[in-house]
Amino acid sequence: MRISTIAFANLRRRKGKAFFLVSGIGIGIGTAVALLSLSVSLREEIGSQMDQFGANIVVTPHSDSLALDYGGVSVAGVSFDQHQLSNDDAAGIRRIPYRKRLSVVAPKLLGTVDVDGRRTLVAGVDFASELRLKKWWRLAGRAPESASDVLLGYDVARAASAIEPFPGTSADADKSSAHHSAASEEFRITKERVTIGSREHRIAGVIGQTGGPEDRMVFAQLSQVQDLLGRPGQLSVIEVSALCKDCPVEDIVTQIRKELPHANVSAIQQSVRARAEAVDRLSRFSLVVSAVVLAIGALMVFTTMMSAVVERTKEIGVLRAIGFRRTHIIKGLMIEVVIISAAGGIVGWLAGLLASRLALPYFTEAGAQIELRVSLAVFAIAIAMLTGIVSSVYPVIRASRLDPSEAVRYV
Amino acid sequence: MAFVAVENISKTYNDQGSRIGVPVLRDVSTEIGEGEFVCLMGPSGSGKSTLLTILGAMNHPSQGRLVIDGIDVYALSDERRADFRAQYLGFVFQQHHLMPYLNAIENVMLPLAALPLAAIEKRRRALEVLEKVGLGDKASRLPSQLSGGEQGRLAIARALVNDPPLVLADEPTGTLDTKTGDEIMRIFVELNSRGQTIFMVTHNPANAALAHRVLHIRDGELEWTSDTKEARAELRFNPTL
Repeated sequence: MRISTIAFANLRRRKGKAFFLVSGIGIGIGTAVALLSLSVSLREEIGSQMDQFGANIVVTPHSDSLALDYGGVSVAGVSFDQHQLSNDDAAGIRRIPYRKRLSVVAPKLLGTVDVDGRRTLVAGVDFASELRLKKWWRLAGRAPESASDVLLGYDVARAASAIEPFPGTSADADKSSAHHSAASEEFRITKERVTIGSREHRIAGVIGQTGGPEDRMVFAQLSQVQDLLGRPGQLSVIEVSALCKDCPVEDIVTQIRKELPHANVSAIQQSVRARAEAVDRLSRFSLVVSAVVLAIGALMVFTTMMSAVVERTKEIGVLRAIGFRRTHIIKGLMIEVVIISAAGGIVGWLAGLLASRLALPYFTEAGAQIELRVSLAVFAIAIAMLTGIVSSVYPVIRASRLDPSEAVRYV
Repeated sequence: MAFVAVENISKTYNDQGSRIGVPVLRDVSTEIGEGEFVCLMGPSGSGKSTLLTILGAMNHPSQGRLVIDGIDVYALSDERRADFRAQYLGFVFQQHHLMPYLNAIENVMLPLAALPLAAIEKRRRALEVLEKVGLGDKASRLPSQLSGGEQGRLAIARALVNDPPLVLADEPTGTLDTKTGDEIMRIFVELNSRGQTIFMVTHNPANAALAHRVLHIRDGELEWTSDTKEARAELRFNPTL
């Protein structure tokens, strides 16, 4: 016989009340767990969707010359820079401590060349990286495979008579369409080759109209353009996508600056801020709702414990009369509260996990998942216990302060 | 020196919202010797229960001192007084107040729950007192599975398990029929015959007649004390008990 024996026996005796309390705490914790799980999954999804918006870090050479404009980003002039970027710099970025957080490193060399006799901006790119970075591009044709394959911007392709609209469709129509395959339905490629500089290149594909600088550019393999411009190993700009979940973008910028002291490294704050704001709002909403539900749960525990104390006045009085200290009464009641709260936490965690799994498809696109996190389980149980203990402090102290002589008056 | 010394104890209750106190005990003094069996009698509202709870170290008197075994009980802190109750006192309540969710042996072990004793020792002591009150074979029964008399004996066993020097009983036969009440009183007499000090509140003159001494209280004051012989004569004690 220990004080815990009395607590366990009381729980067994008041199964209904214990069940009610476990359910109450379970609902509170379940709601919090479901919201937090959904919020985490949504954060990840938002993060991954925002990743698709492109680079959020741009590395350019130090330069005092007038810049070319590329995608709204100032790109240093190609010919007059004192400190050129090189292939080694791109490799250097991949060596920073946070390299695992970099989803794409896309080096580029920009220059102007004659394309079928017209002066055109050409970009030498690593297609594998570039296509991962520019997920909004709608390609007609296919991705370049060989060194001589090129992608033409929409305006360049039209000027070179490399495309023609499908009968009954307008190439200008539906510019806002986000479907990757829509481009191939709007026009077809009618030309296989194009002359860039003095060399013939195969047109692998045409980028659907974006309304951006890509429309007026030609994209070729980096090494080919470096040869073509007579600038082997040189780069004009390196675009970096580091917008993964919980990426410390500012820290990554700092590390790249340290690695490339001769380069300008800047984060595209707008993108970072937009993501952070979206995620923060979601998190704040989840926290507020969770806090409200937990407060209701705490209130329920409080009222139930208060009524339990009144109900058990006689019992507590008898225990005090036969020699139980106040601390013994507190210990006994708190054992019950902790057991009930822990059970509520476990039930709530399981219920929350189940609810979030059932609800997730309604909030996100296919592919998002609720992960089974041990930390969330520990957190749920800890919060449940904290809620139970905090909301029971007053009733339990009140119980311990019951005057035994008053209590045994009921006797 | 008396084992229990009640020295000029007064108790006044303040009604809620009222500043005027209601005196319940007035300058009560008495002594109880070791091994003595003392009963307290008086009409309802005379202060019997108040005096019992004051003797039970759980109701601070407004004035006066209670000294038990040389210890000034109300000079102790609340927690130390709880320890004192656990060590010195055994309570038998009118309606027994057994925990209905604990079986007989667990009910008996209750006063030992907070003591740093091995589980086996607690069990041994509990079984010993259960045997003493004749419930050794009913240790695993719930109170609801026991008769009224058995419940009374179980309550006595619980009061004895910590081997207290003083047993306090509040009308232990008050809710029992005569036969069962007699059965309970026989146990008290037997306990006292083995040296147990007992202080009992009762309305029943027949029970009081079994004590060495009877204190009579009225309107919060001890009116007179009678010894057993006197009580027996006055109250026509039933010799069949």
